Amino acid sequence: MTEVSVPDLGDFADVPVIEIHVAPGDVVNNEDPLVTLESDKATMDIPSPTAGTVRELRVKVGDLVSRGSPILSLDTEGAAVEPPPLTDQQEPPTLDAADPVEAAREPAARSIAEAPVAGATAGAGEVGAAAGASAAAGAGAGAEALADFDGVHASPGVRRLARELGLDLTALSGTGPKGRITKEDVIAGVRGPAAAEGGVRGGEPPAGAGIPEVPAQDFSKFGPVEVRPLTRIQRLSGPALHRSWLNVPHVTHDDEADITDLDAYRRELDTAAKAEGYRVTLLAFLLKASVSALREFPKFNSSLTPEKDALIYKGYYHLGVAVDTPDGLVVPVIRDVDRKGVTELSKELGVTSARAREGKLGLADLQGACFTISSLGGIGGTSFTPIVNAPEVAILGVVRSKMAPVWDGEAFVPRLMLPLSLSYDHRVIDGALAARFARYLCGVLQDIRRLVL
Amino acid sequence: MENQTAEVLVLGAGPGGYTAAFRAADLGKKVVLVDREPALGGVCLNVGCIPSKALLHAARVIAETREMSENGVSFGPVSIDLDRLRAWKDGVVGRLTGGLATLARQRRVTTIRGYGRFTSPRELAVELAEGGAVSVGFEHAIIAAGSEAITLPFIPASDPRVIDSTGALEIGEVPPRLLVIGGGIIGLEMATVYHELGAKITVVELLDQLIPGADRDVVAPLAKRVARLYENVYLKTKVTAVQAGPEGLTVSFDGPKAPATDTFDRILVAVGRRPNGSLIGAERAGVAVDPSGFIPVSKQMRTSVPHIFAIGDVVGQPMLAHKAMHEAKVAAEVIAGKNSFFDARAIPSVAYTDPEVAWAGVTENEARAAGVAYGKGVFPWAASGRSLTLGRSEGMTKVLFDEATGRVIGCGITGPSAGDLIAEAVLAIEMGADAADIGLTIHPHPTLSETVAMAAEAFEGTITDLYLPRRPGTARSAT
Repeated sequence: MTEVSVPDLGDFADVPVIEIHVAPGDVVNNEDPLVTLESDKATMDIPSPTAGTVRELRVKVGDLVSRGSPILSLDTEGAAVEPPPLTDQQEPPTLDAADPVEAAREPAARSIAEAPVAGATAGAGEVGAAAGASAAAGAGAGAEALADFDGVHASPGVRRLARELGLDLTALSGTGPKGRITKEDVIAGVRGPAAAEGGVRGGEPPAGAGIPEVPAQDFSKFGPVEVRPLTRIQRLSGPALHRSWLNVPHVTHDDEADITDLDAYRRELDTAAKAEGYRVTLLAFLLKASVSALREFPKFNSSLTPEKDALIYKGYYHLGVAVDTPDGLVVPVIRDVDRKGVTELSKELGVTSARAREGKLGLADLQGACFTISSLGGIGGTSFTPIVNAPEVAILGVVRSKMAPVWDGEAFVPRLMLPLSLSYDHRVIDGALAARFARYLCGVLQDIRRLVL
Repeated sequence: MENQTAEVLVLGAGPGGYTAAFRAADLGKKVVLVDREPALGGVCLNVGCIPSKALLHAARVIAETREMSENGVSFGPVSIDLDRLRAWKDGVVGRLTGGLATLARQRRVTTIRGYGRFTSPRELAVELAEGGAVSVGFEHAIIAAGSEAITLPFIPASDPRVIDSTGALEIGEVPPRLLVIGGGIIGLEMATVYHELGAKITVVELLDQLIPGADRDVVAPLAKRVARLYENVYLKTKVTAVQAGPEGLTVSFDGPKAPATDTFDRILVAVGRRPNGSLIGAERAGVAVDPSGFIPVSKQMRTSVPHIFAIGDVVGQPMLAHKAMHEAKVAAEVIAGKNSFFDARAIPSVAYTDPEVAWAGVTENEARAAGVAYGKGVFPWAASGRSLTLGRSEGMTKVLFDEATGRVIGCGITGPSAGDLIAEAVLAIEMGADAADIGLTIHPHPTLSETVAMAAEAFEGTITDLYLPRRPGTARSAT
């Protein structure tokens, strides 16, 4: 039996556990990720120090842990003796007085599971998983920095630069001769938001090229100030938003949908759902209605080719849903919306937004959207200009519905009206098409029987 | 000497150790370098690479003058003054190790002469060569403790007639008949030296070829030459016993071509080297050592203890100085907070025999075993003007290419100066060069370096210095 605890992560303390990858009874190999921690600098997986069977978890999601905090106990009996996990991290660990000598009086050749590691605060026998974290290069790409660069077409000098900058070259495509990754590609990869998704488009000027910087100001001249670093999400999403804003000629088209009947139906469903422990929100209907509109207007489910001389039409319907989290805006992707019903979507939305708020979304959860919906209905507003999430070509913004007098030809009748703001890439979509798309969408929302047609 | 503290302790002052110490010092660290030998430089400088190259140069001159006599230039019988030869060799070594001492001083690296063993994850005890002991407390350590020659249990090690490479380099005398146990790089280099100094050489190798790490066709020119020059070469042969007698050392063999016994004046044991991981108290520092004495490390050279690093022979094969030096820089830089990794794709190996044998990257044997789809370009030096003007025609250059990408993945070269020529192939592998990149690079004519370009052209199908009958689908030049 081996107790696995949090290794020395450098300057981290009280970092939250955001994901647990194993459950009691799971068989893990040496270096398999056990849990994921998220500091303000980076998320890092704590790898298993040895092969074994998970016996008991000692943490749950949300727990704050520091060096030496127990993670789980591992049954290593019968497991092959694995070579020690030799994990790299950038920060040279700072060690304090641990006394592993006591434990070291056993034979030298053995698994690290039993090997004492200085820095584990607990006594001899306690395992400090050797510096597990792929923590943490300043660039926040520490985990990637561990990638093996075998087969990457990059010279030794470029590989070193990538290591220094914590960039994963395996996810980068090169612009040099025969696809070689150049120094410039690495620098662009670090600067550009594309780094997060690991791709640098050839020939694309870096976002912001030629745009004058906002001059720095010393605000403290005017009054007291405090500097707080951006959250990791903000640091990742900021450049992506900036890139979209600069690259996409935006137009926003506003319309209103009468959702009086839809809302009545939704409430019925919701009442039933509550008993089952989930909620049915307007968003689930917006997703279904959007798919219907995307089918009708396939241009909205396209992207420009990098050469910008053709459109790539997508034969799938993955929709991004903007979720407000304490750390900033994230856009998880709901896959294959066309194949899911309102009930299934409602359940999935509940789970996904909870995971988003807990910071548990992985990269895969954030990729592959065709079209995005940003709903501020829970907060208020009358209209806004959502930014297209390029390379998507349109985004639907929704604010709070309100009861309004609507002329039905004979009288004003109270109807529940939902304001929609559709931003689109004018290179791909023109105003008339956007107006038709919006009208169609409003029509579907107004009479949701059309969803089943 | 008082007890010391170091930000970086380096244990072992071979090429890995001194490189690590100097790099760490240049990055602003307070460094203590511990080595048990009086001179810095480790095995490589003192009793390895460097002195052997000095003696191999002497051997080369002897061989060339002998061969040149057939072409009209004679110097008369060779006369060898072993004492002067040894003094010259020692002078070369002294100059280099003295240079290291100066470099250490200039960087304010503290050097301690003594045997270091860890006593805790934060402390090394040094048994001083001058007597007494000191302790060195450290924040980080780099283990560069190297390796030692493997001895064979059934050979009377105390007999002065049984030597290892260190003893061989002392050239105390040239025995009439020398048995070299081990047909690897070290054994064959020493055989080259002693052969030219006048000994009759017998080489015995357990496996079925000399220099088993290299491809058979790359080793073939050397194997052919030594088969002609040496008294015997026994492959697939085991030495089963050695009996020390007044007349010599009687050796029992077990192999297809070897006699049951034979008697030699001296035996050189060159059957490999063993890492020193188990000799330094690593367990007291908590550093994991595998049963064979290697210390496993990460790509940042970190051991199982995060603040202790290891480099060089003690972390694994190949046990080569140039590998150690590169690992050394990674370790020192990581300690200094840089995000360095050992990302090398090829580590060249060189046997400084006559002819030299050098290889890098993937060998054909390895490619076949791994199922890698590869192509090759081979250029025989019989077609190299430069080689013929050196009086040699047996060499060959072979370059292996990945069939999918066309990039160079390996290279093997045999012939004079093969060790120098291999560097171009290593660069090609690191840069991801393909056959056209090498073939279209203008190489000076006439040189041996051309053979690398010719091999690339042979693969591409653009070579004109050879006539390679064209088979359908073999021309690779797309344009």
